[in-house]
Amino acid sequence: MLKVILRFANLVVLTLLVLSFFSFLLAYMFPGEPLANLTGVVRGNEQQLEALGQLYHLDNNFLVQYWYYLAELFDGNWGLSFSSGLPLASEIARTLPASIELSTYALILSMFIGLPLGFIAGLRHRKTTDYALLSLSVLGYSIPVFWLAMLMILGFCLQLGWFPLSGRLSLLYEVPRISGFILLDIMWSDLENKSAILIDALRHLILPTLSIAAFTTTIILRITRRSVIETMNSDYILAALARGLTPWQILFRHGIKNALMPILPLIALQFTTLLTNAMIVEVIFSWPGIGNWLIQAIYQRDYPAIRVGMLAVSTLVVLFTMSIDLLIRLVDPKKSKVERVAI
Amino acid sequence: MSLLDIKNLTLEIDLASGWVKALDKINLVINEGQIHALVGESGSGKSIIVKAIVGALPDRWRVTADRMTWRGQDLLTMSASERRKVIRNDISVIFQNPKNSLDPLLTLGEQIKELVPTYRLESFWFWQRAAEREKIAIELIHKVGIKDHKLCMQSYPHQIANDVCQKFMIAMALVSEPKLIIADDPTRGMEVTAKSQILKLLSRVNQVRKLSVLFVSHDLLAISSMAHYMTVLYCGQTVESGKMLQLRKRALHPYTQALLDSAPSFRKELPPKSPLSSLDGTIPTLQHLPIGCRLGPRCPRARKECVVVPAVRRVHEHYYSCHYPLHWDKK
Repeated sequence: MLKVILRFANLVVLTLLVLSFFSFLLAYMFPGEPLANLTGVVRGNEQQLEALGQLYHLDNNFLVQYWYYLAELFDGNWGLSFSSGLPLASEIARTLPASIELSTYALILSMFIGLPLGFIAGLRHRKTTDYALLSLSVLGYSIPVFWLAMLMILGFCLQLGWFPLSGRLSLLYEVPRISGFILLDIMWSDLENKSAILIDALRHLILPTLSIAAFTTTIILRITRRSVIETMNSDYILAALARGLTPWQILFRHGIKNALMPILPLIALQFTTLLTNAMIVEVIFSWPGIGNWLIQAIYQRDYPAIRVGMLAVSTLVVLFTMSIDLLIRLVDPKKSKVERVAI
Repeated sequence: MSLLDIKNLTLEIDLASGWVKALDKINLVINEGQIHALVGESGSGKSIIVKAIVGALPDRWRVTADRMTWRGQDLLTMSASERRKVIRNDISVIFQNPKNSLDPLLTLGEQIKELVPTYRLESFWFWQRAAEREKIAIELIHKVGIKDHKLCMQSYPHQIANDVCQKFMIAMALVSEPKLIIADDPTRGMEVTAKSQILKLLSRVNQVRKLSVLFVSHDLLAISSMAHYMTVLYCGQTVESGKMLQLRKRALHPYTQALLDSAPSFRKELPPKSPLSSLDGTIPTLQHLPIGCRLGPRCPRARKECVVVPAVRRVHEHYYSCHYPLHWDKK
């Protein structure tokens, strides 16, 4: 067990190093001078440029530069944004939780809908229910996320006026920032009209969450359905049937566990797609998340922001998928003990 | 009284080319305390019969029978839950591949304890019941010849050897104290010592507990020493059935004869360097079944009449279905 954890930790560290190296290289790969890309100073006088060059150790070796870059990263000194002039670390700390929050809710929602529906479809294989759910999932699968988000705005905000159009919270309310996750912050705060704020935040959340979750739900549904069909046709399920267990006993004692085991890593992989979709949806709903922020940075050629933002997002994805993988690796008895028992 | 009585069991499978009879009018009678061997080549439908008996067939296959009764109760007309109750209490199955028929994510102990029927438990509280289940499981594991019950119960199916796994499957089959054990090729792919252990175990179970055993196999050698009664199957048709000794002494159907001849140990005067006998050709696929007697194209004695399915004929306790049985020559 310790060995497995160590191996995974090793892998994570290596992957993150490679990622950080890429983000370091970006300064050289953007058009223009590296120094200008890093600092934003294009026409400075000699002395100023030299001082800045020394700050970034530009006259040193490539690897030495990377070393200093790593040291700065670990110090929390991620550079300044061109556009706002604020430290990037605080900018990311402000925007990333909003994205994580949105994606997490979307993932939870799509698991809560996708898994049961997938089980129903798999258990009713080749019946009307199965075909109906499958065609629904094809529909959800093929609708582009940004288009769905626009349709939702058109329908529910502009036509019906049920939900607010953009943002995380109505401008009337001011919630002190503790964790950056809006719902948690509201719960923790000691404002008077807590429940009203909470409802407002939820109303803001619904549309973006739904439009991201639609796609992931259909994918989860399909993966689950496939896995359930395979599991329920496997020999041990038939054997359990032949031993006279009831269908419910079989499903709950043998079916669910065995069907979920192979698909959990696949679902964890969906987090990547989810985050990408979340970035697009954030722009449409003006959600103050990292996606919105990064796309603004790209528009404004804010190179340090792009560099660090990309690193932050990819680190998040890597850590998430790796930890889910590790969890499954530790839980699955088929993989845990390889040695055979002699009886 | 016969335990299981099957008459004209027919199973049709929907293939692209239309409905095909995978089993064609199978007859099988199993009496109490008897070891009944079901023999046939691979692909002759042995395992399908087993699945049809326990009802583990896909819904889209069509099963019909004139009679399929378990101690007088009709298995085909009873509801699914009644049938399951019968199977749960009276019939146990041991499968071909022991590892695949165990849940890979649960330990063996959990799986055997799950099968202990409630009526065998006396105590009321669940913790006492758990202990009782454990006791029953350990007892059975010892009975089938696994000494280290602790290790066995703790391990997962993939961790133990195939023959131990098969012994464990027999223990699982005995948990519900059944009347009939159906052993579907239990010694497949095992080496000789493991095989003879399993066979001995089964015949001991038969003798000690008065259990009937339906032994499905293609291994004549293994069967002949323990079975009382034998049914020979070819391509989904019952070819011949009768007492083991009688069949061995005087087979009436050319297929049975060919099957016996193909096992060298049954031939007494086999001169050195003589060719081993076998029927020409292979068993036909489901898409290309011959009409009439399905052995027709391969049968050395086939004649014009063989395109009609032969009726079942009977000589004392010995049933066969052939137009030109072997004993007619001798008249």
